[in-house]
Amino acid sequence: MPTELPYAADAEVSLSYDELDVLRIQYQKELTQTHVTIQTKFNYAWGLVKSPVREHQVEGVRILQDIYRGEPTRRRECLYYLALGHYKMGNFDEAKRFNALLLEKEPGNLQAQSLAQLIDKGVAREGYIGMALAGGVAAIGTIVLAGLIRRATRK
Amino acid sequence: MSQRQQQDNGRDTSSTLSKLEVVQKAFMAPFAHKKTDSTRILSDLAPVIMTPRMITSAASRSRSNVSSSRISASRMDFATLGRAPLRLGVGSRRITSGDLQIVEATEELLEAEVPEPDGVASNVSLLRGFKATIPSAEKGRSRRKQMRNIETPRLGLKKLGMSARGLLVEEDDRDARSTTSEDDLVLVPDVNARPKSKKRGRESLSTQKTLGKEELTRQTKEIIRDKENIHVRRSLINSEIAEITHKIEALDSIRSKLEQGLLKLQEDELELDDELIGVNERLEFEQSSSRLQTAAYPALHLPPSSRRRKGPAFLPSEHEELPPGTLDSHTTPITALDFSEPYGTLVSASQEDAQPRVWDLLSGSEIGRLRGHRGAVKCIQVEDHVCLTGGEDGNIRLWDLRRVEEDDDGWGVGEMVNLSDVAEEDEAEELIDRPNGIRAHESVAEKDGPCARVLEGHSKAVTALYFEDECLVTGASDKTLRQWDLTTGQCVMTMDILWAISHPPTATPGSAHSFSGSSPASGAFGIPMHPYADGTHDTYEDFVGGVQFWGYGLVSGSGDGAVRMWDMRTGQAHRTLLGHTGPVTCLQFDEIHIASGSLDKTLKIWDLRTGSIFETINYDHVVTSLQFDTRKIVTATGENGVKIYNRTTLQHSTLLTNGHTKPVERLRYMDRYLITGARDTTVKIWSL
Repeated sequence: MPTELPYAADAEVSLSYDELDVLRIQYQKELTQTHVTIQTKFNYAWGLVKSPVREHQVEGVRILQDIYRGEPTRRRECLYYLALGHYKMGNFDEAKRFNALLLEKEPGNLQAQSLAQLIDKGVAREGYIGMALAGGVAAIGTIVLAGLIRRATRK
Repeated sequence: MSQRQQQDNGRDTSSTLSKLEVVQKAFMAPFAHKKTDSTRILSDLAPVIMTPRMITSAASRSRSNVSSSRISASRMDFATLGRAPLRLGVGSRRITSGDLQIVEATEELLEAEVPEPDGVASNVSLLRGFKATIPSAEKGRSRRKQMRNIETPRLGLKKLGMSARGLLVEEDDRDARSTTSEDDLVLVPDVNARPKSKKRGRESLSTQKTLGKEELTRQTKEIIRDKENIHVRRSLINSEIAEITHKIEALDSIRSKLEQGLLKLQEDELELDDELIGVNERLEFEQSSSRLQTAAYPALHLPPSSRRRKGPAFLPSEHEELPPGTLDSHTTPITALDFSEPYGTLVSASQEDAQPRVWDLLSGSEIGRLRGHRGAVKCIQVEDHVCLTGGEDGNIRLWDLRRVEEDDDGWGVGEMVNLSDVAEEDEAEELIDRPNGIRAHESVAEKDGPCARVLEGHSKAVTALYFEDECLVTGASDKTLRQWDLTTGQCVMTMDILWAISHPPTATPGSAHSFSGSSPASGAFGIPMHPYADGTHDTYEDFVGGVQFWGYGLVSGSGDGAVRMWDMRTGQAHRTLLGHTGPVTCLQFDEIHIASGSLDKTLKIWDLRTGSIFETINYDHVVTSLQFDTRKIVTATGENGVKIYNRTTLQHSTLLTNGHTKPVERLRYMDRYLITGARDTTVKIWSL
């Protein structure tokens, strides 16, 4: 049975502050009762991941990892969400590994495939930037060096 | 470029970046910012390069991450470089412990198994649940309600009820709408709208307002979706409930195991207490017996200590082999049995057999027989080498079991030979007016080797007896109890049960007897018994089911269903315990309780001091024999198995393995050594 998962674009849309607050209060209330339902955890974690603040994303991924550890039945979905969370944070390496595992289990999952493409694009983009930066630095370096040498030879 | 050299050390990045590091240090100098302690040194040098991955791989080189990172190093390094402008643009990037934790955890998580989702997980995905439970799920509903202008506070039924009862109601109506309410689902507050809508009051959905087709279809879709949401939430809650139930069951099972452990400890403690008492008694006995060494041995020296309080006679470590299981030589159902000690001597009697058999329990073989009685033997008691039997002929015989072995050889020859031995033996304590000559002419049946004495006096069958030291009490079907002195062989007192019945000690005029099965005054006493487990049934004719005494207090169980407590000094029954609705068949008491079993299929335990019923145990068939101690009650209840009731754990169990094939009639145990006799004519020995 294919798992129902959101497209990565959904993760970019964040909840309003109030909604996140509600989810957080719900989560903490259940914490005090020492029994947190999986749904509450997920709601809060997903809300955190969706937010643009990096600390929130980190916390969200941490809670998702808790769910992953604690609920074997939910693991497959969590793989996707963990991949998504890491992707948003920029940890492409981890994102790739989680997503790869999910695709192993469910090759036909559309969202997982699209996420894989996104991750690859992100990695490539950073590679280009890196290359451009390296090239630019190399160019500047040679210019500076040339200038120094010229100054030295001129004297 | 000495800095470059320094930076090259301790780094596993490729050499193409060395120039880069210098440049970036220049870049990053103005962007000084705080870091966590662990990463400060490394990240100060080149913060962008030292992404979390690099840091952790530098920190723990043994990880396979390092090797895999080398493989993809070339590509990823550019990627990590690419992060530089992003970071510079966005601002300071802090590597927190959270990041580290996440990254470290990925390793172990990826190792974990990913099973197929089932149950709730497959029906309701997390995302679906999210959509169903987040606050905005209610938006559609609230919007529709606002459209209808119906004031819909959270019903607050509880508050209504409380105010109706006049209790103080907290004014938190406003809070009900805030995020701190108890309700899961909270309307994202629209505080401004409320004051206005409150004043508007209730306006029902009037038909004057036209909402338009699109609006209505939208509403129907929303409603359907909300219903689905409710369905989703319900299944979520159900799954949670199921999980919690499992957890509770697991905890309950753990608790019951612990409680069982507690009970075992209690049993052990009681056992140790018993052992201690026994050992102390033994100590006293041995100390006192060492002083009595000069006593004449051949005298019929009845052991002074009561067997009821003997120490651990059966120490399992002394006898490695299990006792012989079955003794089979009777031909009719067993009527009585008793033994001296575990692995000692057993005497058993059966119906229509006037000769009880004597067995050696070490070898499991028959030593001899006790000849002398003219009818069946109904009750036996054995103490060391002394045996007392009561028979249907109304006589009680005293036997010396040591002599059974001597006589065994000489059975066929003629009993004359033995009489001379007997003459010498008896001289010490026998009555002087019995000359040898008379004895020689007397019929052998009256006096033989083992039989030391005959006590006559009862007119009907003797059905119960109990002796201790030199005192014997017997009960017979002539409805009397007699007390005898064993040294002289004379009856000291006769206690008439009939008289006690018609003159009850406590004058309560309306005290009818528990049952009107038979009139005790009539001559014959016979009560048809309830059938045994195998369908057979007898007519119970024994009027006195059991007797026991201690000091001068005597307890008897009789055919009218009453347990009577007598004072042997006066011969009067000072208390009658009524409760059984059938004749009492067996009886035993200790310092605290009296246990009596009867034909009414119950076993009652009475408090000795107050005479009130402490406990009643119901069985499926008649109770014919019992014995109890502080920890257990062993009963023969007309079934093939022996019933054991554990008084500590209040649990019943049955001994059936290799058991009898017909109902058990009699039993006797000492410590862990149990002997039972049944209607299948066998005597079986058990280890408890």
